[in-house]
Amino acid sequence: MADQPAVAATHEGGGHATVRTYINVAIVLAIITALEVATLYIPGIPNWFLVSSLLVMSALKFFLVVGFFMHLRYDHPILRALFVGPLIIAIAIIMAVMALFSAFLLLPRVVL
Amino acid sequence: MADHAAAHAIHDPNIGNTGLDNRKMGMWAFLGSDCMFFGSLIGTYLAYKGKSLSGPGPHDVFDIPLTSYSAALLLASSLTMVLALSALEQNRVKKAAGWLLATALLGFHFVLNQVYEFTTFALHHNLKLSTNLFGSSFFVLTGFHGAHVTGGVIWLLILVTLAWRGLLDKRDYTKVEIAGLYWHFVDIVWIAIFTVIYLIP
Repeated sequence: MADQPAVAATHEGGGHATVRTYINVAIVLAIITALEVATLYIPGIPNWFLVSSLLVMSALKFFLVVGFFMHLRYDHPILRALFVGPLIIAIAIIMAVMALFSAFLLLPRVVL
Repeated sequence: MADHAAAHAIHDPNIGNTGLDNRKMGMWAFLGSDCMFFGSLIGTYLAYKGKSLSGPGPHDVFDIPLTSYSAALLLASSLTMVLALSALEQNRVKKAAGWLLATALLGFHFVLNQVYEFTTFALHHNLKLSTNLFGSSFFVLTGFHGAHVTGGVIWLLILVTLAWRGLLDKRDYTKVEIAGLYWHFVDIVWIAIFTVIYLIP
């Protein structure tokens, strides 16, 4: 196992992570999830810090799964574009709907 | 590169002009569209957050330890899925079938947890789809995610059955990889839901 390369080639000519990398990624994901839940129970934590740190940790988990488990890090740019493009639109949809309803997480709500 | 792709296309009808497998490309396009679908549901939930005229609200009903356990189940299932794919690549079909079965069972456990959660909300907190804005947006969002997980479990069990009957081997790598892409997508949607819906106060 130790002499396996960090990236193994597939029959399609691309590549993907090795079993060791998968296990390491899973351990990191478990640690981040535990940190996320633990952050909730820190007494007196400012709301802006709680929300920001939860969003950052969630984004990190998201990109670890997409990059390593879904192999997008090693895959063809066309496949990356097929996913990242709509993902950007999805985030824009969320931001737009929240702006329309004045429901931003970090900013005080404004009654229109 | 183009010659290589063209030569590949002659032998494999699934390989298109781009040199990529059409099935895999189709799955990525579907996942992109599903991203927008869940984006709109999450946006709707956030837009309605705190605007219910009557209770119960999120913090009257959420059971964070149970949901964290469910999140851990899905993350673990993502690991077993990639281990199945890795085993299949080495043509270790029985091992791959075992990991696929483990993935399906973890997914099934997640669905059971969700059924328990929904039942508790309805019976103990009187929160239903039509109770208030929170109930409507919460049940639609998490219900659609649960439906995706259920579909994934069925798909995985079909692959396990094929493997047990000797109808799945290394040549079917792409078929299993596509199922894996779908499964990991279900996991990343839960990563977003878990943080945005359950954890953020």
